[in-house]
Amino acid sequence: MFYLKGKIDTNKLIYFMFSLPALLLYSFFYIYSVICGIYYSMTDWNGIDISYNIIGLDNFRRLLTDERFWNSLSITVYYAAALVVIVISAALAMALILDSLVRFKTFFKSIFFFPAMLSSVTVALIWDQLFFRAIPVIGKGLGIGLLSQSPLASTKTALNAVILVNSWQAIALPIVIFVAGLQTIPKEIYEASSIDGANSFQRFRYITLPYLIPTLTVNFVLTLKSGLTVFDYVYAMTNGGPAKATEIISVLIYKHGFQEMRFALANAEAVILFIIIATLSYIQIKISGKGGVISE
Amino acid sequence: MIKEKTIWKLLGKMVMIFGIVLTLGPMYIMIITAFKPLPEAAKSFFALPSAFYIGNFVELFSRNKFWNYAANSLMISTISMTIVVFFVPTVSYAIARNFNNRYYRFLYYYILLGLFVPFQIIMLPLVKQMTKLNLLNRQGLILLYVSFSLIRGVFLFVGYIRAIPRDIEEAAYIDGCNVFSTYTRIIVHLIKPMIATLMIIDILWFWNDFMLPLLLLNKSSDYWTLPLFQYNFKTQYSFNYPMSFTAYFMSMVPIVIIYCFLQKYIITGISAGAVKS
Repeated sequence: MFYLKGKIDTNKLIYFMFSLPALLLYSFFYIYSVICGIYYSMTDWNGIDISYNIIGLDNFRRLLTDERFWNSLSITVYYAAALVVIVISAALAMALILDSLVRFKTFFKSIFFFPAMLSSVTVALIWDQLFFRAIPVIGKGLGIGLLSQSPLASTKTALNAVILVNSWQAIALPIVIFVAGLQTIPKEIYEASSIDGANSFQRFRYITLPYLIPTLTVNFVLTLKSGLTVFDYVYAMTNGGPAKATEIISVLIYKHGFQEMRFALANAEAVILFIIIATLSYIQIKISGKGGVISE
Repeated sequence: MIKEKTIWKLLGKMVMIFGIVLTLGPMYIMIITAFKPLPEAAKSFFALPSAFYIGNFVELFSRNKFWNYAANSLMISTISMTIVVFFVPTVSYAIARNFNNRYYRFLYYYILLGLFVPFQIIMLPLVKQMTKLNLLNRQGLILLYVSFSLIRGVFLFVGYIRAIPRDIEEAAYIDGCNVFSTYTRIIVHLIKPMIATLMIIDILWFWNDFMLPLLLLNKSSDYWTLPLFQYNFKTQYSFNYPMSFTAYFMSMVPIVIIYCFLQKYIITGISAGAVKS
């Protein structure tokens, strides 16, 4: 490969040396793990014993009727859907307000972006304390029974409480992306439309929204993926409890794999999540070429 | 017309203020509580501290291995960062300039496969593999950060480098430069903005990451990073929450300082990185 008329082509060799460490590290630590994960999902290994059997697709068949897995999957889907709705609508509203500001636009933008700088565990733990210390005080003060204890302690409110905390941080980046998207809209169109007598809602519906579609797609996919694969917030705040009310798929995989000796089954669950995420990514790539008034 | 506009503006301002209170409120509570002794915090949760109490900080620094964890976080982040900065642009350069070669094109799509894979699928086998290799330690974590940062890094850099015209490089070849010297003398300077973006994205990831340290370093408290310490601190100090808030506050300080000075670059860097991938 590197020999050209009997003499070494130095440039080709340098290019190859540039690429070699990446190829090795990535194959060894990433691709190899993915293949192992798929392989383990077809065994009955508990993660500790030396020997195990290959059992084909039995784990997947078992998952089809596994109540805990379905519960977990439906919680995860709810979590991701709620996160998308809250984050996208709130971020869009904030971005529209920010965009309409004349002064302090950058300053307020940096305040809203700040949560994105923090570790998700820090955010989770701070809110955990706030829920535990502040909510009961407020609840008693207002006489609302539902708020008399930490919302994380009740099966009814725990999941939504975690979603809100996640939204608090997840909204930061979409706001900034939306503001950037709004700035690409030519101002003349708004002027022309107000001469034509369009009201604010019509302006939003027929000018802003079509221009925002590429940005909307980005934020939608980002938030959806982060919702489906979320781990840190739930693990740090509730660890799946109370009574499995917040046991999203990542936490279930973690528990099965490391704590309950159902290593192979956990891998099968991960493979199913993999299929869901890969399909979403594929659709995203297909869509991102089309739609919207502008494409970058 | 005028009435409608003023109503919208007023509503917008109210939502805006609400948003700011919601964003900064938790930070406010965290900071004031860090400066209160436990009895005072229990009595008046929302009020400013009556005196400038630093007992929580004294205790955090003396009784725990706080500086040890901070050093771990700093060491892991900076070493991984340094390797990534040398490593990701060079492989991306090789791919970008040999895109008609089958091997490099394969390598590109091979690395991009990672964009489709959720972390959960490698989580379990990875721990088994790292245990076998005796890499459940800080060195192992750095190796993983370097390997995993390739996915987004190569994606961002290959596109960026391919947009740079080749004329300058060809001139350099004529002047007798080889690929390596062309890279170090010319390309590095042209890709500086992208290097800055990658540094911002990755250093935040390394500093704030919880998942990988949890999997690799949780066994021995000597190895803990700050996020791992905060998590384990929760169980240890759940009753003494001014202490917890002090710990959260302290691990945030470096980020706040950096953010104050570089917010413009950080915001554009992170959002550009997110939009592209």
